[in-house]
Amino acid sequence: MNIQQNTVSENNFEQCIKCTICTVYCPVAAVNPDYPGPKQAGPDGERLRLKRPDFFDSALKYCMNCKRCEVACPSNVRIGDIIQSARIKYGPKRNTSLRNYVLANTDLVGSLATPFAPIVNTAVALKPVRFMMDKVMAIDHRRIFPKYAHGTFTSWYKKHAAEAQAAFPKQVSYFHGCYVNYNNPQLGKDLIRIMNAAGYGVRLLDKEKCCGVALISNGLYNQAKRQAETNLASIRTAVNENDLDVIATSSTCTFTIRDEYPHLLSLKNDDVRDRVELATRYLYRLIQSGKVSFKFKEAEPIRVAYHTPCHMEKMGWSYYSIELLRMIPGVEVIVLDSQCCGIAGTYGFKKENYRTSQDVGEPLFRQIEASGADLVATDCETCKWQIEMSTTKPCENPLTIFASRLA
Amino acid sequence: MKFDTVIIGGGLAGMACGIRIAEAGRSCAIVSQGQSAIHFSSGSFDLLGRMPDGREVTDPIAGITELEQTSQEHPYAVMGAERCLKYAQRVPELLRTSGISVLGDCRKNHYRVTPMGRSKATWLTIDGYLTEQEPGKLPFEKVCIVNVEGFLDFYPEFIAEEFRKYGVACCFETINFPDLEHIRKNPSEMRSANVARVFDHEKNLDALADKIRKVVPECDAVIVPAIIGINRNDSLGLLKSKIDIPLYLLPTLPPSIPGIKAQQTLQQCFRALGGEYFLGDTVRSADLENGRVKQVYTVNHGNIPFEADHFVLATGSFFSEGLVATPDRIVEPVFGADTVYASSRTEWYTLRFFDKQNYQAFGVKTDSALHVVKEGSSIDNLYCAGAGLVGFHPVQEGCGAGISLLSALYVADQILNSK
Amino acid sequence: MNNTYDVIIIGGGATGAGIARDCSLRGIKALLLERSDIATGATGRNHGLLHSGARYAVTDHESAEECIRENMILRKIAAHCVEETDGLFITLPEDGLDYQAIFVESCNKAGIRTEILDPDEAKRLEPSVNPDLIGAVRVPDGAVDPFRLTSSNILDAKAHGAEVRTYTEVMELIREQNRIIGVQAYDHRAKEERKFYARVVVNAGGIWGHGIAAKAGITVNMLPAKGALLIFGHRVNKMVLNRCRKPADADILVPGDTISLIGTTSSKIPYDQIDNMIITPEEVDILLREGEKLSPQLAYTRILRAYAGVRPLVASDDDPSGRTVSRGIVLLDHAQRDGMEGFITITGGKLMTYRLMAEWATDLICKKLGVNEVCRTAEIPLPGSVESEKEVERKMHGKPIAQKRSSIARHGALATEIDSRDSIKNSLVCECEEVSIGEVEYAMKNLSVNNLVDLRRRTRIGMGTCQGELCACRAAGLMGKRSPVCAKKAKEDIVSFLNERWKGMAPIAWGDTLRESEYTTWVYESVCGLSDETEKTSMP
Repeated sequence: MNIQQNTVSENNFEQCIKCTICTVYCPVAAVNPDYPGPKQAGPDGERLRLKRPDFFDSALKYCMNCKRCEVACPSNVRIGDIIQSARIKYGPKRNTSLRNYVLANTDLVGSLATPFAPIVNTAVALKPVRFMMDKVMAIDHRRIFPKYAHGTFTSWYKKHAAEAQAAFPKQVSYFHGCYVNYNNPQLGKDLIRIMNAAGYGVRLLDKEKCCGVALISNGLYNQAKRQAETNLASIRTAVNENDLDVIATSSTCTFTIRDEYPHLLSLKNDDVRDRVELATRYLYRLIQSGKVSFKFKEAEPIRVAYHTPCHMEKMGWSYYSIELLRMIPGVEVIVLDSQCCGIAGTYGFKKENYRTSQDVGEPLFRQIEASGADLVATDCETCKWQIEMSTTKPCENPLTIFASRLA
Repeated sequence: MKFDTVIIGGGLAGMACGIRIAEAGRSCAIVSQGQSAIHFSSGSFDLLGRMPDGREVTDPIAGITELEQTSQEHPYAVMGAERCLKYAQRVPELLRTSGISVLGDCRKNHYRVTPMGRSKATWLTIDGYLTEQEPGKLPFEKVCIVNVEGFLDFYPEFIAEEFRKYGVACCFETINFPDLEHIRKNPSEMRSANVARVFDHEKNLDALADKIRKVVPECDAVIVPAIIGINRNDSLGLLKSKIDIPLYLLPTLPPSIPGIKAQQTLQQCFRALGGEYFLGDTVRSADLENGRVKQVYTVNHGNIPFEADHFVLATGSFFSEGLVATPDRIVEPVFGADTVYASSRTEWYTLRFFDKQNYQAFGVKTDSALHVVKEGSSIDNLYCAGAGLVGFHPVQEGCGAGISLLSALYVADQILNSK
Repeated sequence: MNNTYDVIIIGGGATGAGIARDCSLRGIKALLLERSDIATGATGRNHGLLHSGARYAVTDHESAEECIRENMILRKIAAHCVEETDGLFITLPEDGLDYQAIFVESCNKAGIRTEILDPDEAKRLEPSVNPDLIGAVRVPDGAVDPFRLTSSNILDAKAHGAEVRTYTEVMELIREQNRIIGVQAYDHRAKEERKFYARVVVNAGGIWGHGIAAKAGITVNMLPAKGALLIFGHRVNKMVLNRCRKPADADILVPGDTISLIGTTSSKIPYDQIDNMIITPEEVDILLREGEKLSPQLAYTRILRAYAGVRPLVASDDDPSGRTVSRGIVLLDHAQRDGMEGFITITGGKLMTYRLMAEWATDLICKKLGVNEVCRTAEIPLPGSVESEKEVERKMHGKPIAQKRSSIARHGALATEIDSRDSIKNSLVCECEEVSIGEVEYAMKNLSVNNLVDLRRRTRIGMGTCQGELCACRAAGLMGKRSPVCAKKAKEDIVSFLNERWKGMAPIAWGDTLRESEYTTWVYESVCGLSDETEKTSMP
């Protein structure tokens, strides 16, 4: 019989055999009883929603989309995708709260803020302003905002780097993301420094929009899809026309482009997916192939604790970042137990999630404090904010640490 | 990525094998498709509880010696009684150094008590859990069975029904605190793991201890479901120190706290020894060259393969998709290894659920050194360990954990002795 | 104890329950006896299809007319048991469109509304349909839940004074010359014989009615026809899907509650096999092969279980060879037919016409008893169907959405009786089907639940994808709480419940179903240490 040879259907929830393992690893269900938990919200709920869409429970919004349920699932059920897809398919079609709009549009807000960075940074740090944002926009007043850079990465690149980069015989394309562009251009500069040392010039994509992760989690699906299409078109140009690999410094951007586009936004990307990767993985590959080696300077020994962001855990790629850190002389690497920090992008900024967010992160914060590390390393910008706000340690991207020790 | 050994499957077999290899200073990676079946652990490890014909076993090693004569396909028989004894003797030490403290003797089974009060022969039991030297020989005359209100995965009445058969008087106590009330707001997550998180807070342990102290005058022991100590290691000790009668744990329905703990402990031990544990990844294909596995490819790592000198297939049976059943075949999905099964589906099972089902003994074909066989020939550097092996009934014979642990150590030894 | 009634009804299927209700509404004191639980025979083992009658329109005009009439009645009186999905009769290239014209004409003649759709419109309405279709006709088919339907009839019968005894098996008919005056029955729970008397005894035993009639020395020639079905793990289709051709094997796909089911095969079996339904691999293959043609998704959708029912087809009286079979309702007054007073048999028919069968039988009972009351079962809604879903929902507070809607789907207006005062009552026992502790307790108290399998029929516990893996022990735990005797019984109950579930899973145990079974074995046999103590021969 040829039928039923393979039951891995698009209704992947059928593979759930109710083993309950996901419920153990859901960071939200552990602290917030209003969230139905991954098993109920995911495969169990999907079966009911297929019966009647009005079985949709708005409490699915508490899912942080960390995908730790998927990592834990022995049955390969894409639990997180099922939950997020359900929000798209059955949830409220309009999500016009000003707060969500502002949080989701990192691109727009970033480009408005960077020209006035000193003022904006000072303002959002002020108690009365934070109090206002809490009251008017339901952005929690305890949350510390990331600082904006004075001037964007792209404008710096065009002015100071583009020409020199084009001169390298080997090239790679860079998806910088909103964080590098508006908050931390230094990370982009660090990447350029490393790639240049490896003999590669760094180019930007023709047109880059925010990857859309925040739009997706805030219910702005159409806009997310439009931006994703723009990005995919640029990536295709880089890959297909210019034969360039595309690298990113943010684990979340990388994950969104590779996996969320096809799974949540139904945008096919298999033609380019393998060519989009995290910069640390790209470097690992170059080094392993023996084509590239780096010279480091002598510096103070430091102890670095690596934190695995959720999307990194899902991609399974923290190995590469950790291996890169281990290559740096004088750096002692401690790998923290992989736990969610609780911020989940814009989730933790929302007043109603603040408590959950900090409770989720609590075990990680304790681990970090007890680690005796000088510095925390992580590949995700929002994890960095959360860790810096909630612990006494500074936190950097592994590439920043790597670049700072290059000879 | 290049390792000395790559183990596919991060369950009991995979981790035991990995720990041995990493201990010896070899580089080792484990690739695991999600968390393992250890999450349903009873808190005990079985070696051999019954012979294939149903007879009860008191001395597992004697039973294995007999298997060598009577069931040559059985993995214990394949490994041989002598080796089994050697590895069985190593296991308690391995578990203890990893951080799982167990008691038991491979020459004499003891009995664990189930969440429904039944006695089951077993080999090693994690400290703190109720055991018996003989079925029904309980270490108390009057016991109080405590449960958390609304916790549906533990059955005091069923336990009492069994205990009373042995003349033990039972009384019940339920507990409820604001923190428990809080998690119960969620209608589905009143599970052992969530309850255990509540008892990781000392104030709740205190409250539980208070409740237990009140029943002391009437009872000579107290039983609590295994909901103590998920993130902390000292919760059980703390609780015991706060009361002055013996306290025993009994396992609950899944997820199992002793299982979660054991999984985490073994994983941490493996990592601390320098092992790399890749969770949530699936091995998709393998490159074979001259009858050897050269490298395997996974879903997450795509174009970066895992190269190694040795590979271990520890992907388990059906649950963990080490074996996949289609309507007419049993397939080993990673290497397409030869599998042993009945060709007609009607022979896979009987219609009685608790019968010894033939499908449970299906598995991957190996040679006597547990090399995986593909298209009739052994693959030199690929071994099979654990539940994917052929020729045994893990549940009915009470030998699942034993096969996993012993075959893992046997495979690890062969890897360490080569080269 | 008073053991005399106006009427004794043998058989707790939909028909028996319907008669009990009809009698009670007409003031007749009725006793219903069922050897097992309600709805365990053909009632609970069919498609659960709310026939529009379209399927019979071409071949059996009378049945078609009966169906559409009852269809419209059930939508009113049993709203909470019915899902108004509508159905499509699709034509595939291999069928040819010729049949469609005859089909539509016959439907119209029987009063069945039809609408011819072009294939694209059909695909839009029902995305799961075979995209190769060349024609489709929309008809007012739907889904009906036989367990709820039977249970509501029982509830209403009891509310109007009927007595219902399940697990009470009729062993003998008590005869006084040419008259049946009562029955001798065995109460399986109390383990004792009992006698009950009445002026009329009704044989509503379905296929088992053959054996009941035989106890009076009367031959009702039944021809057991086995029909096998497959249940898929979730809803594949929104509308009922039929093939627009002469009725054949596996040509109906019905969505019902959380699942979809395909059926049936049809094969004659010997009478002595009616209690021993085993699904063969060949039957599974036919169902899948044909099912895939209705909806290609079925080729890779997970199957939950397989089961079979036995249709009580009756050989026509004037053809003792049994070749002419009546698919319609057969009402036999044994006084007229066989000279045996006080005994009637109602059989044939189908789930769809249970109410009409009950009406016919009750009319005859009334005649025999000299009661002059008319039938009102076509007008009075069943308990649970007295209010709309929206109204019921407005009265319910404090439950999460999925739990609230699931319980309303199962109990209609009576869902408000489910205790949901606190978080404990709202805790889920069955997570697949959203059954709370409150609902289990409600069912145990009000819906004559004797064991876990009964509880499943009342609440859908264990009918989800895990087939009892998580909930069997939880439900047993609740049942065992009441006393030590209950604890012992409940523990044994888990074993028979798992056996019952496994029997349906075994024929399709591959892929994820086999994984699930292996896991279930670990949980119950290894972790819990349960074993099957019953003799191998007494398989339930």
